[in-house]
Amino acid sequence: MQRIREGFLYRLNYFLSFPALLWQVVFLWLPLMILIGASVYSRTHHFSLIFYKEILTAAHLRIILRSLSLAFFNACCCLVVSYPVAYFVAFHTRRWKNILVLLLTLPFWVNFLVHVYAWFFILERNGLVNSLLLSFGLIRTPLHLMNTLFSVALVMFQVYLPFMLLPLYVIFEKFDVRLIEASLDLGASWRQTFWQVMFPLTLSGARLGFFLVLGMSFGDYVTPQLLSGSKTLFVGTVISDYFILNRSFATGAAFMCVSALVLIGVMGACFVWLRAMAKGVK
Amino acid sequence: MRILRRLSLPMFVFCVYALLYLPIIVLIIFSFNDSSATYQWGGFTLRWFGELFHSSEIWLVLKHSLIVAFSAVALSLLFGLMIVCSLKERLNRIASWFYIPLLVPEIVLAVGFLYLFSFLRVPLGLTTLIVAHTLLGLAFSVPLLHARFVEMNPDVIEASLDLGASKWQTFIRVVLPFLQPAVFSVALLVWMTSFDDFLISFFCTGSASQTLPLYIYARVHAGITPVINALSTFTLLVSFLLVIVYSWLRVKLEEVV
Repeated sequence: MQRIREGFLYRLNYFLSFPALLWQVVFLWLPLMILIGASVYSRTHHFSLIFYKEILTAAHLRIILRSLSLAFFNACCCLVVSYPVAYFVAFHTRRWKNILVLLLTLPFWVNFLVHVYAWFFILERNGLVNSLLLSFGLIRTPLHLMNTLFSVALVMFQVYLPFMLLPLYVIFEKFDVRLIEASLDLGASWRQTFWQVMFPLTLSGARLGFFLVLGMSFGDYVTPQLLSGSKTLFVGTVISDYFILNRSFATGAAFMCVSALVLIGVMGACFVWLRAMAKGVK
Repeated sequence: MRILRRLSLPMFVFCVYALLYLPIIVLIIFSFNDSSATYQWGGFTLRWFGELFHSSEIWLVLKHSLIVAFSAVALSLLFGLMIVCSLKERLNRIASWFYIPLLVPEIVLAVGFLYLFSFLRVPLGLTTLIVAHTLLGLAFSVPLLHARFVEMNPDVIEASLDLGASKWQTFIRVVLPFLQPAVFSVALLVWMTSFDDFLISFFCTGSASQTLPLYIYARVHAGITPVINALSTFTLLVSFLLVIVYSWLRVKLEEVV
């Protein structure tokens, strides 16, 4: 018996695990190492922070701040909008529940570019909104909707909303609805019930969604590139400009490291803040 | 007033769903619009689809996308099965490491690939694209296949070997059928990731090997045209068909089990 066990299960063919591990090391860790390495080596092959000095300027920091505030704003909006929806779908739908849940997952299968393009179609100068408003005579000249911060924020909100809705719905699905009833029966107001029962118990889903939306909108490239014109710069577009247009890899790598550090820092702060909020109200 | 308050939550939910779906629905409707003005409804037509499929460009990028997606699915399944069968429980500790490519912002991965390939002087093309998508594919295949594999009763494998099946026969007849649901899920996820991926493809491919999302991107830059509406509708159709086939297969498989 022992011999047979060794035959398939326990005599390890380590060799077979090689390709997957190789992929992980060569195509994930190696590039990250090279990027970090490139950002701290000067042209004369000595350790130096010259590239960091180059990008730690007010203009660059403003770009990071802009991306960060947009991402944070977006994540907050998604959170606020998703809570009632997830709650409603989990508890107040009977016959429609299956179809509503299916509709929550379907956007994940829509091509990202098609999503953004659909908004093009609606917001452009001779797009749907303008043509409708014009034909009803509400406006005389087409509104300028594209290439504004508003359009970027709107599209990001719509595209990333499912990433918040689904985790929240999943956590609400596990949530015992009787806890809410008990809380209300025992005299708590809706506000108290939300902050002291619902919020702390759904925190894990909210946190996951929040971080997903925050991270993705911070590094987004397609939405700003297509919808903000070239006037307003965001982190994703600046990084790609460094690498594709200017071919100045080291400066780009330095900028990327700084942005990543800022994002990680903000995520850490949010993590602590959300936990404190859930604890503080108990 | 009370009715208004009772209805406010469903109304709100309805609005959110409308926001999620309206742009796409409008886009689909207008891809059947027989008028070159973007917003006036000129009757139903399939003209744009005809125009779309008559251009040789679209077939070329579609071919590229299919090659890349198939290869990425095949490679990530192959490597995933190999590592899962060889390391078994030892994979417990490192299985979650394979998730990392999904957590790292896409732009970082994309730039990393570009840097690595130019560092190694590898010309960009379909091969580099397949390599990149396989890394993303492994992020699905290793953890999912592993999760399924550890659920398997080892006695079954022992019995198979005990009764004289070779290792290979055991793998094909016993292990693989048990892993089948996970294999299907992985194939679907990797396929969709590869087929839809824009950013990594944007950085990892040469100008001669465009894929479908890259083609859409290039065309969108030029503004809205009915042909792009048709192309978008077509990609949506492909995705939804795949999801439907997948759910149907899963139901079938569960019936068998």
